[in-house]
Amino acid sequence: REYGDYLVPVTNSQYQITLQFNLEQLPADKAGLAKHVSMLKRNVLASPFIRAFEYWESQQEGAGPLMATHYRENEAIYVQAQQDRVTVIFSTLFQEEVDRVLGKVFLQEFVDARRQAAIQNAPQVFYSSREAPLEIRHLPELRQDESVGYVSFVLFPRHFADAEVREQTISQIQLFRDYLHYHIKCAKAYMHSRMRTRVKEFLKVINRAKPDRTTAASEKRTATGRYFRPQFRQSSATSPQQVEGEW
Amino acid sequence: MSNTLRPYLSAVRSSLTAALCLENFASQIVEKHNVPEVEAGNTKEVLLKPLVVSRNENEQVLIEGSINSVRVSIRIKQADDIERILAHKFTRFLMMRAEHFVILRRVPIKGYDISFLVTNFHTEQMYKHKLVDFIIEFMEEVDKEISEMKLSLNARARIVAESYLSQFV
Repeated sequence: REYGDYLVPVTNSQYQITLQFNLEQLPADKAGLAKHVSMLKRNVLASPFIRAFEYWESQQEGAGPLMATHYRENEAIYVQAQQDRVTVIFSTLFQEEVDRVLGKVFLQEFVDARRQAAIQNAPQVFYSSREAPLEIRHLPELRQDESVGYVSFVLFPRHFADAEVREQTISQIQLFRDYLHYHIKCAKAYMHSRMRTRVKEFLKVINRAKPDRTTAASEKRTATGRYFRPQFRQSSATSPQQVEGEW
Repeated sequence: MSNTLRPYLSAVRSSLTAALCLENFASQIVEKHNVPEVEAGNTKEVLLKPLVVSRNENEQVLIEGSINSVRVSIRIKQADDIERILAHKFTRFLMMRAEHFVILRRVPIKGYDISFLVTNFHTEQMYKHKLVDFIIEFMEEVDKEISEMKLSLNARARIVAESYLSQFV
């Protein structure tokens, strides 16, 4: 639908979509065309959403088909349309223990954020850290162990009744998973930089414990002009050594 | 809860000052070797009784002394998952830089989060009261740092959720 003119029906064997552009017949707005083509993934991923919205529009009885998109290894988006809402469920994988705990904190805030007055219009968010939500529990290939989290968004008609709002909603929903992981990584980086500053502070404190090696002290001379050079070596507490000074 | 902090820290300070009376002691077992006796643990007569100063069962300081070295181990308060992870990361960060800190031990004693090893050579090179100051300040700072990081994490989570969901208006 979006790329109708450019779509070539026969694709190369390893690729799934091929677009062909005739360089002499490009429309005037080249930058706009480039942007449009770069949204290919977004548009392709939007298809289950559009189908779900159309199902809701047609106002059929009962729940619509459950559509699963495995857009990443081990992660998937499930979309299901119902009488008065559309449910979108993300399954997301956290590889590290730290990510898991941080993810839990962030997702708990997502669930709680609805209490604020300003964002009453936002979709409702549910989160469970190991068990899949009821709607998709019957699927066979589900992972349900410690490292997986399930987030469900309930989209109300307000979010997809209007065509323009619909497109916006689809784009934002698609970005969710990357947004979440990006902020988890940012939080980790912030903690690292804080720890680094703290370590520097500690180093400053402990260096205060070492007595100063001022130049005056290191240039003690005897009557004959020889220098004392105190040595601060860890292996043994030797007496200060004498070296030949300049005459 | 902070009304137990001052007595706790002053108790640790006075115990440390008393324990840090160290003198040189060459090894009795192997000639020409000089080891921190609290680490080697071979000659029983130079080891002192270990002392535990505890604020509650989650926060403790273990002080093991001997004639030429003292081992101080600290258990940091970790109330929940987040604090556990933060404390673990922070102490690991510090212990990887143990050479800079001179008195830090690379591996904590079992049951504790971080350990210091102070030998007679350290007390000869550095001021003793400043060493004790450092350890006390360390204990205060670590608690403060962990609670600050947890607060900033929660604030960040709230802002992230708010800004994402407000896009849907």
